[in-house]
Amino acid sequence: MDRITRRRFLTTSAGLAGILAARVPPARGQQREISYLCWNNFAPASDKKLAEIGQRFTKDTGIKLKIDHISHMGPQQAKYAAEVQTQAGHDLVEMRMHFPWLYEPQLVDVTDVVVEMEKKYGKVLSSGYEGAYVHGVWRAVPQYHGMFVATYREDLFKKASLKVPDTWEDLYVVGKELKKMGNPVGIPISQNYDSISTAGPVLWSFGGMEVDKDGKTVRINSPGTVQAIEWYKKMFRDCMEPEVLSWSDASNNESIQQGKAGWIHNPVSAYIVAKQRKLITADGMNHHRSLGGPQGRHETDTPRHIGIWKFSKNVEPAKEWIRYLIGKKEVYDEYIMAGDAFNLPVYEKIQDHPVLKTDPKYAALKGEGVQYHTYGWPAPASDKVQLITNSYILPNMIAKAVTGTSTQDSIAWADNEMKKIVAG
Amino acid sequence: MAVRADEIPVARGRSRVATRMSAWLDRESVLGPLFITPAMILIAVLVAYPFVMALYFAMSNSFIGRPSEFIGIKNFVKLWDSDVFRQTFQNAFVFTGIAVGFKVLLGIILALLLNEQLWFKRLIRGAVLLPWVIPTALSTLGWWWMFNSLYSVVNWTGISLGIMDPPGPNWLGQRYYAMAAVITVNVWRGLPFFAITILAGLVSIPKELYEAAHSDGAGPLARFWYITLPLLRPVLAVVILFSTILTFGDFNIVYVLTHGGPINSTHLFATLSRMLAIDVGRLGEGAAVSLYLFPLLVFVVWAQLRFVRKQVY
Repeated sequence: MDRITRRRFLTTSAGLAGILAARVPPARGQQREISYLCWNNFAPASDKKLAEIGQRFTKDTGIKLKIDHISHMGPQQAKYAAEVQTQAGHDLVEMRMHFPWLYEPQLVDVTDVVVEMEKKYGKVLSSGYEGAYVHGVWRAVPQYHGMFVATYREDLFKKASLKVPDTWEDLYVVGKELKKMGNPVGIPISQNYDSISTAGPVLWSFGGMEVDKDGKTVRINSPGTVQAIEWYKKMFRDCMEPEVLSWSDASNNESIQQGKAGWIHNPVSAYIVAKQRKLITADGMNHHRSLGGPQGRHETDTPRHIGIWKFSKNVEPAKEWIRYLIGKKEVYDEYIMAGDAFNLPVYEKIQDHPVLKTDPKYAALKGEGVQYHTYGWPAPASDKVQLITNSYILPNMIAKAVTGTSTQDSIAWADNEMKKIVAG
Repeated sequence: MAVRADEIPVARGRSRVATRMSAWLDRESVLGPLFITPAMILIAVLVAYPFVMALYFAMSNSFIGRPSEFIGIKNFVKLWDSDVFRQTFQNAFVFTGIAVGFKVLLGIILALLLNEQLWFKRLIRGAVLLPWVIPTALSTLGWWWMFNSLYSVVNWTGISLGIMDPPGPNWLGQRYYAMAAVITVNVWRGLPFFAITILAGLVSIPKELYEAAHSDGAGPLARFWYITLPLLRPVLAVVILFSTILTFGDFNIVYVLTHGGPINSTHLFATLSRMLAIDVGRLGEGAAVSLYLFPLLVFVVWAQLRFVRKQVY
């Protein structure tokens, strides 16, 4: 053992005292570590790929990355709330839709990262802007998006010589036949997000809206809403079964996978999972674009973004991870390919992605002519819109109407509830 | 054994300290608080602090992650204007009233059965406790599967036996069925608590009373009405008290089975509170929902404990 000289002892002691006083460990030997909370992706292979990319990131950068997964929306929201209230938890969080608006004061400005991404891949899709561009500042980096299309049993349609619908009214015509065949239409009318994701396009294509462009005037009480509700009423009566009132976000997927539903409105996850699990229904499924109405065709888009909490002590390493996952073209491509067309690129120049060519059944996912909307359109994105969404006013209005409440009373109820939220 | 002279004062000193200590501990005014302190610390940290925080949130416009202001009882007043809250208020009373009623009735019947001489008595008594022992979220998932429209074994069995017309009741999608479903699961889960507690009360009733009544010609119904029920009253009062509070505060069953739907028809205070505070972000309103019934429950506790004391003393 080396002899400890008086000089060496004094130097070491002074150094230690300095570290203790500053409460910052020396850079050499300091292990940088970040944690990332994301959901259980509906395309499970995507989560496996994410873990693999994470390991490579650690190897390449020396930053240790811990990825945690949490199930769908409910638990995820509880986790966000707990982390924000306690100012402790993960450094990065995956957020959906308008959540960056709700957590705006708690999220780091990541405009610098998004500007880099836009330079490389082109502008973020409009839905990405709606979700994460808050008061002129990017509060989260757009990661991918998933578009609502129609998943239908092509085999059953062919067997019964049914025409693939192009409008919501066409769907009523084929829906009646499907129900007679024992394969009803499966559109949830319950307290979940899929219900809102379908109610939105139906409402918009009949000319209705929840809140006007000014973001302040509630416009749910309109002839467009009446038409949308009347359409839901006849669909519920003639084309669907009452079970849709109890459905969760997963129920429509399960219904078509298990061979019951003949048509559902959903991203391609139902097909992806059926294919991966080798379900016999997978071969018979196909997709077509979301439907139109008298006021055009509107698609619900569900953008996802990665945000960094302000309480994080590792903002720069966290940004480094986002740059690695999304900013490195080869890594981002690999990640998108693993999602099997459930996770679509959210930047304009890479819309025509090779993932769409991996299966002819993804033809309906091409972005040309699509009007991407997030919840609450045409009102600008805001925390109020997210509050209206999270209170399930739209599906509850429809559920009231299809179960006996008059159309006008259902609309009046929704009008009142929305006005209370907008008034704050 | 020889003792060195220099050790004696130390030993004396120690024994003096020990004596003083034991005398000190002998005093009730010291020992009592000393024993209570750990429990008080636990209550302060785990009960009082969250309660005070909830009170503070309920009287503020607190929103997740944003600064808040004191707004008095505005949240409580505002809630009463909300259809969803009024619906929840009604649901809570319907849910608790029916569920506790069934638990009392079935609990007494089950306890009387368990009190009989049965084969495998211990095994049966242990098995009865199972619903109460299994984590609620887990067992409710099992019930969710049984009521689920796509996989419902209840409907499948009913249709196979010809009791139900296909597709069978829409358990979780129709408001009355959904309420029946959540009440059923609550009764199933809470019944063992009632049965075992009432059984303990039954066992403690002296056999001589029944023998005397029997020799006086009292039938089983009269014996139950004039002996069993009056002597069970204190036990029943305590069980009903606990169950009323717990049933009012139920969360897991509704959250897993219906999420408060359809159209908010099964929301209880706890599930609505979660929706408002966590999903919507309005911590203040969510806390106000959870505290709305606090004054009423305090009164229920006071009245029932008074009743129990009267019965006992």
